[in-house]
Amino acid sequence: MPMSTSRQSCSLSFTIAQASISKSLFSPRVGTLSLTRNGDGNIDIDTPGVIVNTSRGVVPHLSREQYKQCSSVRWVHVPFETFLEHKPPVPTLQTGQDPLHRFLGYPSDKCVVSMSLRDPHDGREVPSNGNAFVSANTIRGVRKVSPDEWRSYALACKPDIVVPLSDTPFNPSPYSQKRLTKSIERSFTWLTHFLQPIEGSHPFNVFVHLAGGASIAARTAFSESLLETLHGKDADMVKPLKSLDEGVTGYQLDLVPLRLALSGVINIDTSPVTTDPGIKTSDIVPLLRSSLFPLPTHKIRLVNSSKSPHEMLTLIQQIGVDLFDAQWAQRAADIGIALDFSFPVGNWGTRRRSNGKQDLGHNLFDPSYAEDFAPLANCFIGEATRNGDVPVCMCGACSPLSPHTRISHSSLDESAPNGGEVGQPFTRAYLHHLLHTHEMSAHSLLVLHNLAVLDAFFAGVRNAIRSLGNETFDLEISRFFQEYDEELLVFSESEAMWGEVEMARGKGRLTREKAKQTTV
Amino acid sequence: MQFEVIAKCHTTRARVSRMNLTHGVTMLPTFMPVATQAAIKGLTPQQVEALGVTLILNNTYHLNLRPGMKVLNQAGGAHKFQGWHRNLLTDSGGFQLVSLSKFTTITEEGALFLSPFTGEPTMLTPEESISIQHSIGADIIMQLDDVVSSLTTGPRVAEAMERSVRWLDRCIKYHEGSGKKSTQNLFAIVQGGLDPHLRHQCLDAMIQRKNDISGYAIGGLSGGEEKDVFWRIIKLCADKLPEDRPRYSMGIGFAEGRNFLLHLLVCVALGVDMADCVFPTRTARFGVALTHAGPLNLKLSKHEADMNPIDKSCPCPTCTDGTSRAYLHHIVTHETAAAHAVTIHNITFQAQVMGGARDAILSGTFPEYLRSFFAGYFGDGGYPEWCVNALRSVGVDLLQDHPVNLIPGSGAKWEYAN
Ligand SMILES: [Zn+2]
Ligand SMILES: [Zn+2]
Repeated sequence: MPMSTSRQSCSLSFTIAQASISKSLFSPRVGTLSLTRNGDGNIDIDTPGVIVNTSRGVVPHLSREQYKQCSSVRWVHVPFETFLEHKPPVPTLQTGQDPLHRFLGYPSDKCVVSMSLRDPHDGREVPSNGNAFVSANTIRGVRKVSPDEWRSYALACKPDIVVPLSDTPFNPSPYSQKRLTKSIERSFTWLTHFLQPIEGSHPFNVFVHLAGGASIAARTAFSESLLETLHGKDADMVKPLKSLDEGVTGYQLDLVPLRLALSGVINIDTSPVTTDPGIKTSDIVPLLRSSLFPLPTHKIRLVNSSKSPHEMLTLIQQIGVDLFDAQWAQRAADIGIALDFSFPVGNWGTRRRSNGKQDLGHNLFDPSYAEDFAPLANCFIGEATRNGDVPVCMCGACSPLSPHTRISHSSLDESAPNGGEVGQPFTRAYLHHLLHTHEMSAHSLLVLHNLAVLDAFFAGVRNAIRSLGNETFDLEISRFFQEYDEELLVFSESEAMWGEVEMARGKGRLTREKAKQTTV
Repeated sequence: MQFEVIAKCHTTRARVSRMNLTHGVTMLPTFMPVATQAAIKGLTPQQVEALGVTLILNNTYHLNLRPGMKVLNQAGGAHKFQGWHRNLLTDSGGFQLVSLSKFTTITEEGALFLSPFTGEPTMLTPEESISIQHSIGADIIMQLDDVVSSLTTGPRVAEAMERSVRWLDRCIKYHEGSGKKSTQNLFAIVQGGLDPHLRHQCLDAMIQRKNDISGYAIGGLSGGEEKDVFWRIIKLCADKLPEDRPRYSMGIGFAEGRNFLLHLLVCVALGVDMADCVFPTRTARFGVALTHAGPLNLKLSKHEADMNPIDKSCPCPTCTDGTSRAYLHHIVTHETAAAHAVTIHNITFQAQVMGGARDAILSGTFPEYLRSFFAGYFGDGGYPEWCVNALRSVGVDLLQDHPVNLIPGSGAKWEYAN
């Protein structure tokens, strides 16, 4: 495999705003993450903020040109395991600058791309990892990946950020003390291996998965090991780093394996909304704290698979988390939900349930939306219908822009007369129709909107941390808990209707249509 | 509607024209992507417009079922409902009624069928069809016609043709009285099966009504007929239809699958201006990309490490972004984004083929255009005999500089080009 080891510089810095530094280890904080690639301009991402997830390398339901237009797509995370279906993995064959960006179509001047071997949301059982490999899932079965291979894939793909291999068990818990110790040791060894200097090139930006499962002691031990001054072989390997932590830019906290370890069950569903509801955010907080406690406070803290904005708020409030993935909001788009909430709680809510709480969004499968010509949210309106102080959603569903260019197919074709004009918002009634007729654009529009709502939520959080005192911020958080339904009842309702419509459509339909195709 | 023929091919019957409707100009000849349920598979209306598409088709039968006329009326029509600001065409709903519903009975009054919602007998009359199409608000609407399969023989064919003329009169009358004439344009549908005599009769009757009609569709050719009969009927109709009205060949994309492109180009050469086409969007979902060298099946493992785009010279967003075949291979049938990417390409490809035809007609090189298209599409694999015959009838010899075998029957069966 032809592989260039030279990497252009790609440096990631993280600045916590002065005002939030003085507070305690775990207080909420605002910051800016700044990526400079190849000496070009910065990509700045404000924190607390959001990371967009990918499936088989793509942001589900979006076209590549939508990546460019959608301001929420600033940092995408790519689980690499699906590419193991081909050997060598195809993205490693891409030539030129920023090969992973290029292969997947993420604009390099706009997007940060991070890469891990496993999908952080995949809680399905896989065979045990070995001393020198991690088991990964592909549609062609399980693949073993060694630390050497993983490093070579990262070198070839040149993502902006890499997560080194980590030994996270995905087989039945509870895990024995022995298993936990082995897990920590392997993760340590693999991280050491990964942090070896790259000859003649800039080092990786590394986010480390904080290991230790559901054990406070194990988690603390792993974090402490990162700070230890290295000796002997380990020290030689990572020279000039004195400890592993010196080579680490950010800390990653994956909640799916953590919830699995806590609940002692195998989860065959990867969706975070259906994980064991018995496990509360309050069960998770002490574990995450035990990981972060020994570590320096100035590095980025990233949480994957948070199950609701309520949980996100709690983790910001009690642990000072900087980044969350958008899996929750993306899943909502899959099942037909248009998100509609804001922080702090605004004056324009959704319907109230009998428990007195508002839904976080609208289940657009519901027949009550068939003749509802309002835009997708009450909290936000479209630019074309700007009205007083109601916040505006600039997403492609609420504020669609007419195209700036039109492809001309002959010398006679007229050019676009009105590029860049904001059109009327797409309505709930139209999306209801699209969902019931299995039109895929329903999900594209919902992804655009839901990511924008989540973005606005984080902008509200940042604003509140910056401008409110701790007490007022806490008060706003309790108001959010009071107002919005944490049980996510609208999700279960939507998921049920989505299931019915999918069923009615029939699993065989695609196959039948396909057969029809080939006989023509 | 303003309709103006801008240029005519010196050899064939092909022509370039400009059709100005309520929602802008559409240059002809053109193909129309089909948005059956008020959406082009996976794409937003803005994305479709960016591809240079100016005219799409909605299906009346489907929209009448869902979202239904009540919703469309409240929304202010299908343009507003789906956010499409360019031209729109609807069919009468009759064809789908007959093909999708088992219990349709045709009476002089209309088509009687069982409502899929209530199971009640329901009548679709010519007046009702036009009234539904008024609610949808399409720029071009179709008369309700009495549809029989092209394989039907005997007196039923003549009866259907004669009834279609009577129903046209009822559609005209209803449309006249509606006040929608200035924004919506009614097309007649020429019937008469495969019988030239009946076709002539129908044409005579419908041409008499020209002043009340904005354009003509050629109906009743649904794919089951012999190809040599198919093109002769198209030619017979196109030859006789008035110069100053657009001509629309209905539903040829419905049955013809990947041979659609050939039908399209042959029809253009015979004098047709418009055709609808579900093929580029339907086939995209299965990872089939259209190219000048024939269809490309991106599912095949030969593409798994191919870093080339579908077509380097294609102006679509998928190809200009450098989206590789390897990438598409990785996501095809797994991610909806693959269908979006290939749909974007396929629609653009079709529009390019038609745009290229317009330019060639304008510059007097349409016969060469046809020859080079066929040569690229089939290579040395042989041409469908019916295409060669059809184009000979309008003075183009496909075999002129490219002697290949002729493939008889319904057309080429070829392997994927790549
Ligand atoms: Zn929106
Ligand atoms: Zn293309």
